[in-house]
Amino acid sequence: MVAQLLRLKVRLLGNAFRRSPWQIVGVLVGLAYGLAIAAVLVTVLVGARFVDDVTLIRDACTVGGALVVLGFFVMPLLVGIDDTMDPRNFALFGVPTRSLAGGLLVSSFLGVPAIVLGLALLATVITWSRGIPETLLALIAAGALFVTCMLATRVSTSLASLLLSTRRSREFTGAAGVLVLIICAPIGVLLLNVEWSRYGLDLVGGLAAILGWTPMGAAWAVPGDAATGEWATALLKLLVALATAGLLWLAWVALVARMLVTPGREAAARQYGGLSWFDRLPHTPAGAIAARSITSWGRDSRYWVSLIMIPVVPVLVYIPLTIAGVPEHYLTLLPVPLMCLFLGWTIHNDVAYDSTAIWLHVASGTRGVADRIGRLVPTLVVGIPLIGLGSALSVFFYGDWGPLPAMLGVSTSIFLTGLGFSSYTSARFPYPATKPGDSPFAQPQASDTASAIVQSLTFTGAIVLSSPALLGLLLGIFVDPYWFMPALYYGVAMGLFVLVVGVWRGARAFERRGPEILASALRA
Amino acid sequence: MTAVLPTALPSVTPDRPAAAPRPKKRKPVAVIERATVELADPLAPVVVRASGLVKRFGPTTAVSGVDLEVRAGSFYGIVGPNGAGKTTTLSMITGLLRPNAGSIHVHGIDVWAKPVQAKRLIGVLPDRLRLFDRLTGAQLLYYSGTLRGLDNRAVRERSADLAAAFGLEDALNRLVADYSAGMTKKIALACAMIHSPRVLVLDEPFESVDPVSAVNVTEILQKYVASGGTVLLSSHGMDLIQRVCDHVAIIVQGTVLASGTIAEVRGSATLEERFIELAGGRKVAEGMEWLHSFSD
Repeated sequence: MVAQLLRLKVRLLGNAFRRSPWQIVGVLVGLAYGLAIAAVLVTVLVGARFVDDVTLIRDACTVGGALVVLGFFVMPLLVGIDDTMDPRNFALFGVPTRSLAGGLLVSSFLGVPAIVLGLALLATVITWSRGIPETLLALIAAGALFVTCMLATRVSTSLASLLLSTRRSREFTGAAGVLVLIICAPIGVLLLNVEWSRYGLDLVGGLAAILGWTPMGAAWAVPGDAATGEWATALLKLLVALATAGLLWLAWVALVARMLVTPGREAAARQYGGLSWFDRLPHTPAGAIAARSITSWGRDSRYWVSLIMIPVVPVLVYIPLTIAGVPEHYLTLLPVPLMCLFLGWTIHNDVAYDSTAIWLHVASGTRGVADRIGRLVPTLVVGIPLIGLGSALSVFFYGDWGPLPAMLGVSTSIFLTGLGFSSYTSARFPYPATKPGDSPFAQPQASDTASAIVQSLTFTGAIVLSSPALLGLLLGIFVDPYWFMPALYYGVAMGLFVLVVGVWRGARAFERRGPEILASALRA
Repeated sequence: MTAVLPTALPSVTPDRPAAAPRPKKRKPVAVIERATVELADPLAPVVVRASGLVKRFGPTTAVSGVDLEVRAGSFYGIVGPNGAGKTTTLSMITGLLRPNAGSIHVHGIDVWAKPVQAKRLIGVLPDRLRLFDRLTGAQLLYYSGTLRGLDNRAVRERSADLAAAFGLEDALNRLVADYSAGMTKKIALACAMIHSPRVLVLDEPFESVDPVSAVNVTEILQKYVASGGTVLLSSHGMDLIQRVCDHVAIIVQGTVLASGTIAEVRGSATLEERFIELAGGRKVAEGMEWLHSFSD
């Protein structure tokens, strides 16, 4: 069974290479990334062999290692991995549970994360090769850790697919995962600013003392404890580690047994009353498309991720700049234009988000203008209050109402030029997007250089065309407040101009290339 | 409404003489029976005329020179084995897939030269394309109707009628993403009809639709045809085609091997027998004896 499942996994990996050249590039990039990480880890760990401060190495290993184990358990829950080796796929073959569980576990050893982990664990054996008993303990601990991490992933993936089997909960956790990851970024930045030289060692030591006794960290502490001469502690922790692996194995077998007899759960359907947005907006094609767009923004997790990103981006930019010493006074003017930039850019591939459902627009001969304008509406609903209120708040915190016109000009310019570019590119150059219902993390099967060009073009285009307004704002602040008004005039005029041209060209492209848009959605 | 489908067809005799030495070789130029269409009204105008349709995907040719003539008020079925080019042909007729060569006229309007005018006349049910499934059934109907240019009142009235006709009243306020396959098919069918088109082009309209609903849908379509509408549909179900359609075209490997009224195409055999003969004959399953001795 193990051999068969391994062969299946190899074949699945091999077939990934046969889909398209870009898929191969993707796999190779992933592999290169993984190997690079492995190389760094191995170098550090082997290098640690020649460091004499055994306690420090032990504590660092324990804390870092505990995070790794946690990561192997949590990532599948957050990311919602699409599991090709889901036990349920084998339900009809009548394989004994235990051998199926073992086979699936072993087949999960083939994969970039597993390979990186394996190499790093082998390196820890070298780190602790300070005597025969230490080396032996390190070897046993490494083996236990490898199995523990793999089992943790399998168990959490299965739990996720068992518990989160409804469409709604799956999409929700996907979006929540994105949010968590984004929130983690500023925490990382903050952690970098802790005065490690002063408090770092105590912090790591204290954490390691606790984590060393938990299932996550025990195995990592075993060889270190042995090396520091605490043999009894080492053996006790080894017991914890082995028990962890054993319990996870039992949990995994039980889960497989459970999943084999639990088919996918039906979604509990919710009732929605009335036509909601379709009632409130004009009863025209453009109005209906706008209503449909707003509805999608509210119900589709892919749009949630875009919306979550918009307020977070300024924070991500803000923190490093503050740390770098840019005066906060000027930074208050930054968030609104940045959010406008991302909001305008959000819909640059909007048509591809519809996937093949776009056939309805093509088959009903929808006017391009109606399609373009309808898709703009949700961003306008968010963007106009954002520019108005946001600019006012910014200058309020800035402490001087002088730059308000220029702020409005810059934001309007960035927002509307962004929408203009997006209106054109989403009709003319749709590129594969995450499919409806997939996890927001799931990458589309085929993406190519064209998509990268489209992305960067719409992004930089808005900045370049808005730079005169931005210049007006800067001149107004640093040279002469006279420049604030020209920035407003320029920003509004440029924004409207690009928006009109973008909608016009986009509408033409949409009408002429309807079948091609559908064909590209079918290829994706 | 009876839940039982009439089994009008004498089913194909299950055991043909096993003596047939080897599977019949495919003859692509089998008898082409493109007789002049004769039906209730043989003089009815041609409403869908496809000539010389060709579609290539890279090196493979999916459709090579399909000609079709569908007259007003006919119920026209396209049958063919898997991968024969049925969906490709219908997609080109509805303006969803640009042909490499050939032309399509619907009520005299060239679909690919004047797409907007032509598309107004056509109702489409594509196969295996997504719907805007984050909308509820009611919203999707409303959306389809509005895109087709109907006004608010007409859309609402027709949505209610269609929901009643297709038995979807209870599902209207649920997301289409949560529908079963058959319900999705029915709501898509309803969306295809909402603008009362002159021609309905339906790709596999009965796939995964339960028998009761299939009878319902058939009845709706028959009334539509009786009042002058035209239906062009594709199906695997030979039984169904023979029962509901008056005309049929058999497409194999991207070409029309036979077309005309059901009677003309099937000759003395059943439609299924004729189809199997044209599609390359039945493969006689040899060397499957192990299947008759069970492994435990």
